[in-house]
Amino acid sequence: MVERKDELINIFSKDIREILNRVSVDFNEVQEIRLRAAGPLLMIYRNEEYYVATNGVLSQERTDAYVASKNELKETMEYMSNHSLYAFEEEMKQGFITIQGGHRIGIAGKTILDESGIKTMKYISFINVRLSHQVKGCAQPVLPYVYGGGNDICHTLIISPPRCGKTTLLRDLIRQISDGVKDHPGVTVGVVDERSEIGACFQGVPQNELGIRTDILDCCPKAKGMMMLIRTMSPRVIAVDEIGSREDIEAVEYVMNCGCKLIATVHGSSIDDIKQKPVLRKLVEERTFERYIILNSQGRIGNIDQIYDSRGTQLYKAPLQPVGKLWDRQEWAYG
Amino acid sequence: MDRTYFKLLGAALVIISSTGLGFYMAAQWTEHLKTVERLKKMILLLKGEIVYANSPLTEAFERTGKKAGGGMGDLFVAVAERLIRQQAEPFFTVWQEEIDNLPKEVCLSKEDKQNLKGLGEHLGYLDMDMQERNILLYLEQLDLTIGYLRKHKQEKSRLYSTLGIMGGLFLTIVMY
Repeated sequence: MVERKDELINIFSKDIREILNRVSVDFNEVQEIRLRAAGPLLMIYRNEEYYVATNGVLSQERTDAYVASKNELKETMEYMSNHSLYAFEEEMKQGFITIQGGHRIGIAGKTILDESGIKTMKYISFINVRLSHQVKGCAQPVLPYVYGGGNDICHTLIISPPRCGKTTLLRDLIRQISDGVKDHPGVTVGVVDERSEIGACFQGVPQNELGIRTDILDCCPKAKGMMMLIRTMSPRVIAVDEIGSREDIEAVEYVMNCGCKLIATVHGSSIDDIKQKPVLRKLVEERTFERYIILNSQGRIGNIDQIYDSRGTQLYKAPLQPVGKLWDRQEWAYG
Repeated sequence: MDRTYFKLLGAALVIISSTGLGFYMAAQWTEHLKTVERLKKMILLLKGEIVYANSPLTEAFERTGKKAGGGMGDLFVAVAERLIRQQAEPFFTVWQEEIDNLPKEVCLSKEDKQNLKGLGEHLGYLDMDMQERNILLYLEQLDLTIGYLRKHKQEKSRLYSTLGIMGGLFLTIVMY
């Protein structure tokens, strides 16, 4: 636990580092830390937003909040990028960088444009640190649905609004399918980790556990990566996060036609939401995916709300959940 | 008899040490040239790591330093290690301090060190183009230094060794 806190606070400027060091909450339950130039230091902890005071106390009173300066944001950017902003040029064009540990840093400021689109970003005045969570065993409740019949894995689409734990669920699904679970031997899984969020690779080595039979193509565009993996690593299952572009869909069809199984995630809150997206509608109408897992944050982050099959038949519906912890570790504890 | 003997011995010592000093100065010139040439190779490696492999500074410095070895290699590794420790120190500060801590055996002039510090001022800042231009600018400075050291190598070597011998002889005559 201490390691995670240390690893995380080291990305901030000296003063903010000292303040966060005084914060005594469990950093495994922290979801976001937000910095704005001349704005209060905010922390999202157990689904609640708090101001962080100079003495490290989480408060609901704005007057208590520590106010970050522009220079602190600049300093923070230098440390977050390991003194190498240039190495994150491509990610910065998309408005985020992923750091060691798989945490995603969202940034906003003044965008610089050229003929091809966004060239870079300057005057970075807004930073949102989204903490990655590795919850081993959280995919346990969905495994019986992902394994359709026998050892066959179904093409699965995880649908979830942002901050509802789709990447965390995908990560654990990959780990369990790769390692193998009771009655289901492990299979080779290929992961295209475009934003380094799934495996959180550092110098090519995944920091998150993704299973013993998993090959990861880090920082690679999904469409190209899926094709490459099929040609080079012969995976049985391919896993990708946040599909949505036309190229992604073409690659998905290619993967399925090659006999590989696909597990993907997408932003949305229902199958109807997915049907609204022109490029994804075709996949739903053609019944390409055999399972749809819909997540929400009712009661807790990563709540499995509903599971459907390819025809839209409901296979599972969650009972109403009481408000609980970020992730219920006890319930999903899995050896 | 004894006095003459001691005088001759003293004269021989003066001439030997003065000649030695001259040859040492000439060797320093050559060593300086070798160090700057080695530094140029390291900067080219660093450029490759940054521009082609897109490595962050910690990785680029560590790899280049380990590959190159020697005093300059140790400088690069030391910088990488301090950055990895994440002690909330800006890169430029770390870079300047480590250059100031270079051992005396590393044969670099004050001006060379100043130029080397200048390289670190903009390293890591902004985009890849900026890194490449910054490194290319420094490589041009190194080329000028190497050109100057090479051009004057023979002449300076001869000058220092001759001055050493002649200076020794002159001192001996004056003291006799």
